[in-house]
Amino acid sequence: MPGDFLDRYSRGGTICHRMSPRLKIILTVAVIVTCAFLPLSNWPLYGCLASLVFVALSLAEIPIAYLTRRLLLFLPLVLMTAIAVPLSRGFAGGWQTAGTVVIRAVVAFLAALWLVSTTPFDRLLAGLCRLGLPRLFAALLAFVYRYIHVLFDELARMRTAQRARTFKRPPGWRDWKGAVQLVGTLMIRALVRAERIHGAMCSRGWTGKMHSLD
Amino acid sequence: MSHAEVPILKVERLSYRYPTGQIALCDVSFQIGMREVVGLIGPNGAGKTTLLLHLNGLLMGTRLAPRRGETASVVESVSDGGGRFEAENIAAGNRVPVEVLGMPVIPENLPEVRRIVGILFQDPDDQLFCPTVGDDVAFGPLNLDFPRDEVLRRVGEALAAVGLSGFEGRSPQQLSFGEKRRVCLAGVLACEPNLLALDEPSSNLDPRARRGLIEILRNCPAAQIIASHDLELVAEQCSRVIVLDQGRIQADGPSREILADEKLMAKHGLEVPLSIQYNLKLSPAPH
Amino acid sequence: MHIADGFLSTQVCLGAGALSAGAIGLSLRKLNETVSTRTVPLTGMMAALIFAAQMVNFPLLLAPASGHLLGGVLAAVVVGPWAGCVAIALVLFLQMTLFADGGWLAYGANVLNMGVVGSLGGYAIYAGIRRRMPGPRGIVVGAVIASWVSVVAASALFCVEFSLSHYDEGFNLPGLFAVMTSFHSLIGVGEALITGGVVSYLLAVRPDLIAEPGSPAGAVAGLGRVVWSGAVAALAVAAFAAPFASEADDGLEAASKEVKIEGLVQEPRALLLADYKIPLPRFVSSAGSSDEAASGQSNGFWQKLSVSLAGVLGTAAILGITFALGGFSKSRIAPEATHAG
Repeated sequence: MPGDFLDRYSRGGTICHRMSPRLKIILTVAVIVTCAFLPLSNWPLYGCLASLVFVALSLAEIPIAYLTRRLLLFLPLVLMTAIAVPLSRGFAGGWQTAGTVVIRAVVAFLAALWLVSTTPFDRLLAGLCRLGLPRLFAALLAFVYRYIHVLFDELARMRTAQRARTFKRPPGWRDWKGAVQLVGTLMIRALVRAERIHGAMCSRGWTGKMHSLD
Repeated sequence: MSHAEVPILKVERLSYRYPTGQIALCDVSFQIGMREVVGLIGPNGAGKTTLLLHLNGLLMGTRLAPRRGETASVVESVSDGGGRFEAENIAAGNRVPVEVLGMPVIPENLPEVRRIVGILFQDPDDQLFCPTVGDDVAFGPLNLDFPRDEVLRRVGEALAAVGLSGFEGRSPQQLSFGEKRRVCLAGVLACEPNLLALDEPSSNLDPRARRGLIEILRNCPAAQIIASHDLELVAEQCSRVIVLDQGRIQADGPSREILADEKLMAKHGLEVPLSIQYNLKLSPAPH
Repeated sequence: MHIADGFLSTQVCLGAGALSAGAIGLSLRKLNETVSTRTVPLTGMMAALIFAAQMVNFPLLLAPASGHLLGGVLAAVVVGPWAGCVAIALVLFLQMTLFADGGWLAYGANVLNMGVVGSLGGYAIYAGIRRRMPGPRGIVVGAVIASWVSVVAASALFCVEFSLSHYDEGFNLPGLFAVMTSFHSLIGVGEALITGGVVSYLLAVRPDLIAEPGSPAGAVAGLGRVVWSGAVAALAVAAFAAPFASEADDGLEAASKEVKIEGLVQEPRALLLADYKIPLPRFVSSAGSSDEAASGQSNGFWQKLSVSLAGVLGTAAILGITFALGGFSKSRIAPEATHAG
């Protein structure tokens, strides 16, 4: 379950973990933006950026295996989109563009991965808020983050229950129907729960006004 | 009720019908005094949770009109609390069916009502919606517009009351079920309510957590109404018991008497708790 | 579908970001006007739902692969366009941070494509269809068609964004359109199938959970809806038509005359395509050599073929799904039922 993807290494003790979230966000965005502005021909600078990111990643003590796995999941998608450019010209050109795109994407991806792997989500949100993210949006994000875990649990339970009464892999139509029912039931339960949550919020005085402890 | 002061809760001829038309509550009347601990028992589907939701205006029922069996116009369930109690009812001289500390539970009074009445819901995941424990317990006091220092003080005290001091930074995902329930209780206690309404507070708790919860409730100065299937808890905690079945009050009286009434208990899908059956000595008598 | 960093130029990202921010701001304001205290739990829960639902494997009926839900139209159908759009933006943000799926700079573009076009725009189409087809059938049909169209439209928008980012690099926009559109046509069919299925299920079990277009959460003013759905539909149409456009360009025409492959040059030029040409710079400038032009020409044929096939198959599939699901949707709501509670 992707549930353990979330925040796996973000509570470590390295210097990267202890840095202020705001600083980390600014650094990461700076790397990404620099990436976007550099022309491909400037290999040395790309190399510098890439090594900077690698240094940061190793300082954060993120396991190589984890990094490689994430990168391997990421690459196919990028390559597929990037290859569309030369493909659209019958492979007669567009390779430069495709190459630039892939390199930029990888460096930016690693930078973002560093940021996320060294910052627990709620602190990341707090940092973004101090940098200007609207509070309502941050509150919504926190809410979503909280309930993703609840929904994943429910989904897992429903799947288990479904599988307990499935004896062999059903033919296509029923298999699809099973998936539809899973999502549909999850939706119903979650929306009804949202109504209860709303009641609980109102019970403690919720009027829609945002408050914050800081 | 044994106090001559204003009752903390007064429910008079409360009736409520679901949007589907099914009658959930019919002609429910009772009062709760300032320091009473009342048990609310009955079979599933009796309307216990529905009744609790009326106590702070999440649902707003109507008052059964004087004529036999006739209900005043039904109000839709309004869980946003911004609902309305039909003006015609008030104009017709019908008093609002639910009064908290003498205040009718109508939209204008909801903010104050909700400070006085705190509800602990059955599913902690419905009530623990903030990113950290500290944020969640602070939710109530912040909405009450207290200054930061006061909020922090209340959070600290509430967490201490439930035995979770130092948990401010934890995220809900890391908590056990019992801890989650205690955090929810802390969130309610932080508002310093005068009446605590608890919906199945001991459900799904292991014995230790359950005992811990009972201790917390015992030390809580607020009046309490506890809806529960846990008849032992009710026997231990509550001096008075209300039996609800099919939306109507079937019995209201001292817990020892009612819980010991075999026929009554059986008639409403309940049982006499073992401790009473065998006349076991319970921990310090309930107040 | 998620655009990673590095694909789009910073300027395009900022532009898209500004547009998205505006759309989200508008959506949030609309939400606070209508559902106020419910905004956070409703929108937040919908976002969590889409996030979780995207993990579910939907076996594709005809292929041994599995499809996944994108969810823009589904979100909008259930909780209304404003909440739907914000929900998608929230999902994208979480995927960006937690999974590094979608770049930080490109966030605005992703929200624009999948939230604004995918959800808001898709809803406009859905609402338009519902007006003509009241009752549960209209809901399913609307959801199915809107899903497909919005997916294709979103990919078209991506092509535009991409070309705007790289126009100085000698670029074959129509070719890109051909590749993207063919691919997303198929994805759109999957999306339509899943969305239609889930919506039918909801209609059968809890029809009261689906937002009514007339209700506050679902209200889209008449003119606004027409404009929105028109824009989205235009994008989708352009997606299919664009690959047929290129050869009309002077530079290539000259080259083609040189190589005598005029027979392959055909341009059914809708007015829409002419509009496309005007704001975009001419990107054929550096595509100098006639060899390139020649191979471009012959590939032009395959591009058009693939796009036409994608369009025809996609439309046929959508019609089929519409009939199948529309027919099977058994619902208890009467056409004039209102949103309960």
